[in-house]
Amino acid sequence: MPAHPFFDPTEGTGAMNTHSPGSIYVARSLPAALDALNECGSAGAPFAGGTWIMRSPIRNEPHKHHYVAIGKIPELTAIRIDADVVEIGAAVTHAALASALADLPEFDVLATAAGCSANPAIRAMATIGGNLSTSAFAAADCVPALLCLDAEAEVSSRGDQERVGLERFLKIRPTLEPGRLLTRIILPRRDRKTAHARLPLRKSGDYPAAIVSLAVSFDAAARVRAARIAVGSVEPVARRWERLEAALVGRPLDPAQAAEVAAELADEFTGRDSVDMPAWYRVSVVPSLVRRAVVAALDA
Amino acid sequence: MVLSLTVNSDHLSPATNPITPLVVDVLREDFHLTGAKPVCREGFCGACMVLVDGVPILSCLMPAALAVDCEIRTVEGLAVDGTLTPIQAALEACDAVQCGMCFPGMVVTLTHLLTIKPGATRDDIRAALTGNICRCTGYERIVEAALLAVAVR
Repeated sequence: MPAHPFFDPTEGTGAMNTHSPGSIYVARSLPAALDALNECGSAGAPFAGGTWIMRSPIRNEPHKHHYVAIGKIPELTAIRIDADVVEIGAAVTHAALASALADLPEFDVLATAAGCSANPAIRAMATIGGNLSTSAFAAADCVPALLCLDAEAEVSSRGDQERVGLERFLKIRPTLEPGRLLTRIILPRRDRKTAHARLPLRKSGDYPAAIVSLAVSFDAAARVRAARIAVGSVEPVARRWERLEAALVGRPLDPAQAAEVAAELADEFTGRDSVDMPAWYRVSVVPSLVRRAVVAALDA
Repeated sequence: MVLSLTVNSDHLSPATNPITPLVVDVLREDFHLTGAKPVCREGFCGACMVLVDGVPILSCLMPAALAVDCEIRTVEGLAVDGTLTPIQAALEACDAVQCGMCFPGMVVTLTHLLTIKPGATRDDIRAALTGNICRCTGYERIVEAALLAVAVR
């Protein structure tokens, strides 16, 4: 049993409530959270906004026996905006992130991703760290947005801290050892235009069928110097679309032309089937989302 | 550990063991505040919404342990000495209440909106209500009532 003061809902009853976590420790500092996670080992997990974990019973997934709540740790709920970098604590909510980035046009892609996902109350609870750490959540809006911003992830454990590129983090997150915690997301600041396009079945509340996030910079002749395009929700894990990025470089950015190239290259995606829509549909809407993202970036 | 919560300015502890772990269940089963409704239990419908430190929160997704040291305000705690708040009065005046299932959540959301944005527009109101599902589909009267509440301020 961990040494930390966990709230245990079944204490003294012998009962198991399958709709609720076993116990929760509300950490007040990062070292305390890392200690608790380390003590819990594989029986424990971090608890940020909880909007995914609390719905585990609906997915027929058992809760962990122990959770370590990280939402009240000051350094994990802070956003630092410097001249050359933006650092986002893992427990920053979507609502707080959208608000903090509202006046920084280079981060339109992330402000839109954080500000339009799910519904307002979910955005007030769900965190950026939870969005990135939930391997099973294919439709996370912030993941493609951060991919196209060249984000890095800081992973901490008791006595250790390392920084990895986001693509690397997405690969290792399903097997991240107990006791290791995503603590910060680091974004380089650059002169670029960015946009986020998503297609939910209804205007809000639903998970998007597909997501396209875009970041482009231009040379003096208004040709694309560098492009970052990431696609989310189509496959189980969001990823960069490097062939499309390469195809856009060296020419003026044109919505119709970008969509045309996207349609030619879209067969590299293997869509995921789900109860709400078939795999082919997710892939088929991607070129249109590319066009919308380009239009939005040019208007930015 | 014993759980102690601040609800509608009262300091309360659940009357029974075990500690009911979700805020919505504590409110309803232990404190008999049945305004918040545990309908979808997945954060989709907004019927369970309460204010936690002034922010609308889905109480069906919040473990009670995380509400310790917070001020919880439910729909029962909005009116002062029986006097309806402006948004409650406007909803009544516009005859906007239908079955009542979604209404506590609607009132909580609109209370917060009119606090942070007293001059809210129709679009602001519609955007704020995107997480509140009305089974009776009576949205238009609800939006009209919110606009009335804005107008009479």
